[in-house]
Amino acid sequence: MTGPVFTRRRLLRAAAATSALTLAPSPLRSALAAPSRAPLLSGTEFQLEIGAMPVNVTGRPVTGSGINGQIPAPILRWREGDTVALAVTNRLSEPSSIHWHGIRTPSPMDGVPGLSFAGIAPGETFVYRFPVHQSGTYWYHSHSGFQEQTGVYGPIVIVPKGGYAQGFDRDYVVMLSDWSNENPDTIVSNLKFQSDYYNFGQRTLGTFLEDAQRRGLADTVADRLEWGKMRMSPTDILDVSGATYTYLLNGQPPGANWTALFRPGERVRLRFINASSMSIFDVRIEDLPMTVVQADGNDVVPVIVDEFRISVAETYDVIVRPTADRAYTIFAQAEDRTGYARGTLAPRPGMAAAIPSMDSRPLRTMTDMGMGGMEHGEMPGMELSPEGKRLEGQVGVDNVAMMPTERLNHAGEGLPTGRRALTYADLRSFKPESDPRPPSHEITLHLTGNMERFIWGFDGKKFSEAEPIMLQRGERVRFVLINDSMMEHPIHLHGLWSELDNGQGEYRPYKHTINVKPGEKLSYLVTADVPGRWAYHCHLLYHMESGMFREVRVL
Amino acid sequence: MEPVQPVMDRPILAHAILNENEGRWNGSNTQYRWDGEGWVGTDYDKLWIKSEGTLQSNGMLEDGEHQFLYDRAITTYFDLQGGLRSDIDSRRTRNWAALGIQGLAPYFFDLELTGYASGEGHLAAKLEASYDLLLTQRLILQPQVEIDLYSKADPARLTGAGFADIDTGLRLRYEFSRNFAPYIGVVYEGQFGQTASYAKRAGESTGDFRFAFGVRIWF
Amino acid sequence: MIALLCRSLLIGLVPIAFNACVSPGPASTEQEAAVPLGVDLGGSGPVAADTVPTEDHTASPTHVRQMQMAHEGHNDAHGTGTVNAVDPAQHKVNMSHAPIPEIGWPAMTMEFPVAPSVDLKAIKPGMSVNFTIEQQPGGMYEIRVIAPSGGGR
Repeated sequence: MTGPVFTRRRLLRAAAATSALTLAPSPLRSALAAPSRAPLLSGTEFQLEIGAMPVNVTGRPVTGSGINGQIPAPILRWREGDTVALAVTNRLSEPSSIHWHGIRTPSPMDGVPGLSFAGIAPGETFVYRFPVHQSGTYWYHSHSGFQEQTGVYGPIVIVPKGGYAQGFDRDYVVMLSDWSNENPDTIVSNLKFQSDYYNFGQRTLGTFLEDAQRRGLADTVADRLEWGKMRMSPTDILDVSGATYTYLLNGQPPGANWTALFRPGERVRLRFINASSMSIFDVRIEDLPMTVVQADGNDVVPVIVDEFRISVAETYDVIVRPTADRAYTIFAQAEDRTGYARGTLAPRPGMAAAIPSMDSRPLRTMTDMGMGGMEHGEMPGMELSPEGKRLEGQVGVDNVAMMPTERLNHAGEGLPTGRRALTYADLRSFKPESDPRPPSHEITLHLTGNMERFIWGFDGKKFSEAEPIMLQRGERVRFVLINDSMMEHPIHLHGLWSELDNGQGEYRPYKHTINVKPGEKLSYLVTADVPGRWAYHCHLLYHMESGMFREVRVL
Repeated sequence: MEPVQPVMDRPILAHAILNENEGRWNGSNTQYRWDGEGWVGTDYDKLWIKSEGTLQSNGMLEDGEHQFLYDRAITTYFDLQGGLRSDIDSRRTRNWAALGIQGLAPYFFDLELTGYASGEGHLAAKLEASYDLLLTQRLILQPQVEIDLYSKADPARLTGAGFADIDTGLRLRYEFSRNFAPYIGVVYEGQFGQTASYAKRAGESTGDFRFAFGVRIWF
Repeated sequence: MIALLCRSLLIGLVPIAFNACVSPGPASTEQEAAVPLGVDLGGSGPVAADTVPTEDHTASPTHVRQMQMAHEGHNDAHGTGTVNAVDPAQHKVNMSHAPIPEIGWPAMTMEFPVAPSVDLKAIKPGMSVNFTIEQQPGGMYEIRVIAPSGGGR
C-alpha cells in the first residue's frame, strides 16, 4: 500500500530533519526555529519577527504591527559586557528596521534606513551584532515609516556588570504608549489640512465668558487679541490627542488594569519608558512618592519626587516602597489632559485603587512664545538675532523666540505646585564626565515649525532641504538648541551621549533624549567618539517625518 | 533608483472641501449652492481647483465660476496662486487669467483675494473672507462674505461695472466629526449699481435673503 | 523510528520549556480572570559593595585610544573575515569579520558594497578572506581589495 508507507517515510524524513536541526550550529538553528512568544527574552542570541497582527484596544478590531506577535514587543534582557546577536526578520509587506534607542552600537548596527543600512526588505532577515558596554533601561523600535505608531516597540533591560547601586526586591517595566485605530498616514494628512484637527480643547465663547468673569473684560479681550494677532492658540499642547488616542500602559488600556504585584514593605523598581509617538505624560502614583534613580539608562543621584514629566523616548527608573496592604494607581496623564494610561501596584491580582481625576489642561504662555519675562504688548527695544531675522516669515517658521529662556529648573506647565515634580536641574550623575575637555566649538540650532501648515524642521529647513552636520571623530562640541516653537520637542541624537548642562557642572547627566520646552534655550556637550552617520531628530514621530530630522556625520 | 531616505518629508497629499453645500430657501423657491476647493501637491507647491455656482429653482445655473490654479507657499501664512478662471453657467462663458493670494490673516480671518484679466481687456477682482467663531468645541458660527468687482460691464452675464455683487452668510455648523458638519444659516445675495439695474431689467430680484441648510464636508 | 520521532520532539520542546521558565509568574497563586499581570524581572541581588555604579559611558574598550589618536587623513582599514553571501548583481558581499581596531569596529556581520574594479568571481560563501575597506564620501565603507586568506576551512 503506497499510502501509509509514503506517509510514514515522510514522517521519518521530517523527524530526521528535526534531529539534524537540533544538532545544527546555533545561529542556523535559531534562524529556522519559530520566534518565541515569551514576553521576556534573555541571553545573547535573539530572534525577532516583525509582522502584522490583530489589535483590539477600543473594542474595534484593527490591524497593527508587532514583534513576535506582541505589543509591546518582548522585553530584551542583556548583560553589560556580553555581545548580543539579534536576527530580525521582516514579515511586513513594506521595508522595516529596528533601532536600539540609547544603545551605543557601531553605526552599521544603529538601524536607521538610509544612514546605517538600507533597511530590512520584506521577507529579509538582518542580523544585528554588537557588544554591550552600558547598563540600564532602554527600548527598541522600528525606524521605518510609522511602524512605531502601529506597535513596533519594546523594552530593553541591561543588567549592570558590577551590580546595582540601590537594592530592590521587584522589578517591572512600565512602557507607556499611544494607540490610534486611524492609519498614521491619515493622521498626518488631517494635520496638514487642519492643524487643530485633534484639538477639542480650544478657546470658545464659553471660555471667553469664564475668563472675562475671572479677569475682567478688558484683560480678556487684550489677551485674545494678543494671541489672535500672532495667529496662535495657547491651547496647542499636543498635536494628536485623546480624540483619537487610547493611552496604553504595557500595551493595556486603562480599563484592563495592568497590575504589578508586591509584598508590603518591598522595594519595587519601576522602569518607565515613553514609547509613544506623540504624547508627553505626567506620571505619578497617588499616595506613593517615587525615588528617581536612573534617567535615560544612566544612574543619577536619587531624587524623591511625587511626579515627573516623561517626554517621548525618555526613560526614568524609580524605586518605590509601598508599605500598606493596599493597591496603588500608577497614573500617567497626557500633558493635554485628554486621556491617561493607568496601571496598578497591588499585593494581590484583581485589586484596584481610585483613579485620580486629570488635572486641568495647561495653557501656553508668552514665555512659551519666547517672550520670557516681557510684559505682554511691550517690546523693550529688543531685536531679533541675525539668524532670527532670517528665519522670520519663512514658510516653515511661524515664530521666532525673541527672548528664549533657560528654565531647566522648571518642571513644565500644567504641573500643580502642590506636588514635588522632577526637573532636569535635579538630575546629577554619579560619576563626573568621562571627557574633561571643554568643547572646541558650538553648534546652534533653532527648533522651528509652522503649526498651521504642519511643517517642522531645524533652522526653518526640513531634512530634505538641509546638509548634514559634520563632526570630526574625537572632537567635543556643544549643541545649543533654541526652541522657537510653542511645543515641546524631545530631541534625540543617535549613537553619542548628550551631556546636558543643567547646573551640575562635571556631574551633568548623560541623556539620549532631551525635551526642549517651548521658548527654551539649553545646551549639551557631545563627544563624537564613534564614527558614522547618526540620526538626529525630534522624537515626536509626525514631526520627524515632516522634516524635523538631521544627519550628524562623524568622520 | 533614489537611495532610501531615513524620513520622507515631501509627501504628495490631496484634499478637497465643500465650504458651501446648501439648499437656500426664501419662502417661495429653493436654490442649491455649492462653493468648494481642492488641492493636490506638496507643502510648497500645489495644484488647486475651485468651483462655485448656484442652481436656481427654474433650472438655470448662475454664478458659475471655476478656477484652476498653481499655488506656491510664499510666507508663513499665505500662498500665491495663479492660473485660469472660467465662468461657465447658463449665461455666456467668460475666461480670465487669475492671480491672487490665499491664507490666514491676523486674528484668524480666512482670506482670499484674487485679481482677474480677460482676453477682452476686462479686469475683475474677488474678495472672500470668513471667520470661525467657536461657540463650543463642536458648534461653530461662521460669518462669510464674497464680493465681486468688475472694471467693465458685461451685459451677457448681467454684471455691471464697479461693485457687482455680494454673497454673504452666517452659518452655524455642528462638527460631528471634523470632516462632516451639517449646518443652518441665513444668507444674503445682492447686486449693486449697474449690476442691480441689469437684474431689475431682466425681471430678477436685486437682493434676496434666504434660509440655508447644508453639510460642510471635506476629505 | 517512533523513538527517533519522540526524541526529536522532546529536543524541540526543550527551548520552549526553557523560555517558559524564564518568564516567572506572580508570587501569589490567586488569579483574577483576565487582569494582565506584569513580568517581574526579579530583585537586584546583593548590592555592589562599592555603591557607585560602574556606568561606562565609553563606546568600546578602544574608545580612549580612538580619542587620543589624531585623525590622520587615512580612511581605509584592513581586516579578516568569513564570507556569508555574495551578490554579483548588486556587487555586494555579506561578511562576518573580526574586530577592526583601526576604525574602532568590533566583530560584526554586515553587508559591504564592493568597488566596481574588484572581481568577485573567485569569492565564494564560506571562504576566509583578507580585505581592505575604504570610507566613501558618504560615510559608508566599501571593499577595495578582497582575497582568500589561504587558510581554507
